[in-house]
Amino acid sequence: MGHLSGCRAIMGLAALAVLVAGPVPARAQETEPVTVERLRPKHEKHATLRFLRENRDFIRARYDLLRQRAGGERGEAGEIDPRFLAYQEMLQDLFSAQGSVATQNDSLARRQLLASITELGSLEDQLDVMDSLLADQRTRLGVLQADFTGRQRTALIVVLSGYPSKAGVDRVTVTLEDGDTLTVPLTDPHRASLRKGGVVQIFHGFVEPREQVVEVAIIGERWPRGTKGFVTLDPARDRLTLLRLDLSSVGPEGGAASIQASKWLHDPRPYTGDD
Amino acid sequence: MNDTIRRRHGGAASLALLLLLAWPAAPASSEGRVPVHARAGLDLSRAAATIWAPDAYLVYLENDEPLDSHGAAIRWGYLYYSPTLRKARVYSVRDGKILVAEDLGMKFEAPPIADGWIDSEAAYKAADEGPAREFVFAHDARLHTMLLLRGAIQENQPDRTTWMLVYTAPNFPSLFVVIDAADGTVLRTWRG
Repeated sequence: MGHLSGCRAIMGLAALAVLVAGPVPARAQETEPVTVERLRPKHEKHATLRFLRENRDFIRARYDLLRQRAGGERGEAGEIDPRFLAYQEMLQDLFSAQGSVATQNDSLARRQLLASITELGSLEDQLDVMDSLLADQRTRLGVLQADFTGRQRTALIVVLSGYPSKAGVDRVTVTLEDGDTLTVPLTDPHRASLRKGGVVQIFHGFVEPREQVVEVAIIGERWPRGTKGFVTLDPARDRLTLLRLDLSSVGPEGGAASIQASKWLHDPRPYTGDD
Repeated sequence: MNDTIRRRHGGAASLALLLLLAWPAAPASSEGRVPVHARAGLDLSRAAATIWAPDAYLVYLENDEPLDSHGAAIRWGYLYYSPTLRKARVYSVRDGKILVAEDLGMKFEAPPIADGWIDSEAAYKAADEGPAREFVFAHDARLHTMLLLRGAIQENQPDRTTWMLVYTAPNFPSLFVVIDAADGTVLRTWRG
């Protein structure tokens, strides 16, 4: 599937990334447990686009006719997104304000030499200017963050945590619905990190904002072949969903279905520095 | 309907013969669900489609559940085409959730639907205030299908995005109404 294959590079990098962080990021929403099932959940089939399917020969024939009558309209250049121009203007405003601050600083130095108590009152005004500049910068960064990181598309990160005490794990596979299978080998540093409470990211990619089943398999010498677990997720649209697979209580007898899974949403609010 | 139109739409009339005997005779149980107009699921389906393929664009939509009497349905299907993948994928949206996401499984290289199309409510009104009302009253007909696509129906204006509304009646040929999706003008009708 396109979106999964498109993320392979990210996944490859992600597989190498050992994140020595706590299991839940500091800016995250509430974690909720997720059931890992032994069998793939079955869903009711719903028919769609019945008219099109029933009449596809007719409609396709009409489109074939259209292609024989291709027009010759010329393409036109698109307009530049006005936001991109606005960023530069905001920066210029800030630079000019910075010039004012420099002037204020020179003035401040002179006035310090005078050591006049009456002039100390103006310090507050200068600090106000600096505060205002900082606020403007924060606004600008907020706009940038909202426009870029804030325009989050629906994405999923899958991480492992914990390490089973009963049997070693060589590889973990993740298969998205309608997607390819991603196999992530666990290296010795990965295992060491998991044993010490770290997490290993095994997938990071875009996913469709709909309910879907993620298949997880554990592969290792003592693990029965084909042991799989199925997690049903409904990634929130335009948000980053994180799925944690805790392997600490997993054993060959329970298989992948004994994974303790949980999920949470990444908090998309711009960082304000007040947290 | 005059003979010219009848001849011109001979192929289209055959659509009616294929019409969907499998459809339920009456609207399915809505289970408390509120019918919505076609644009309601557009953003969600587009968000999913651009994850499937960044170059995907909307080429077709159709009601996936029976229509109410105002051009609303509890489920709509949105079909996207990706030139890169050379595939089409449908998202069927109900209650603000994608209920079905699947590749179409057949070749369907259609042009993108133009932005600014009127919603199914306006398209319904255009038909109802025009040629459909008499047909509905005279033959106890009902609005069976609404579909939006570009080019295929209005053969002499292939760049035009059009709604096509299909009214079915017991023991009578169906009524097809083609509406300009930009301004709601009724472009043509035929029976078949």
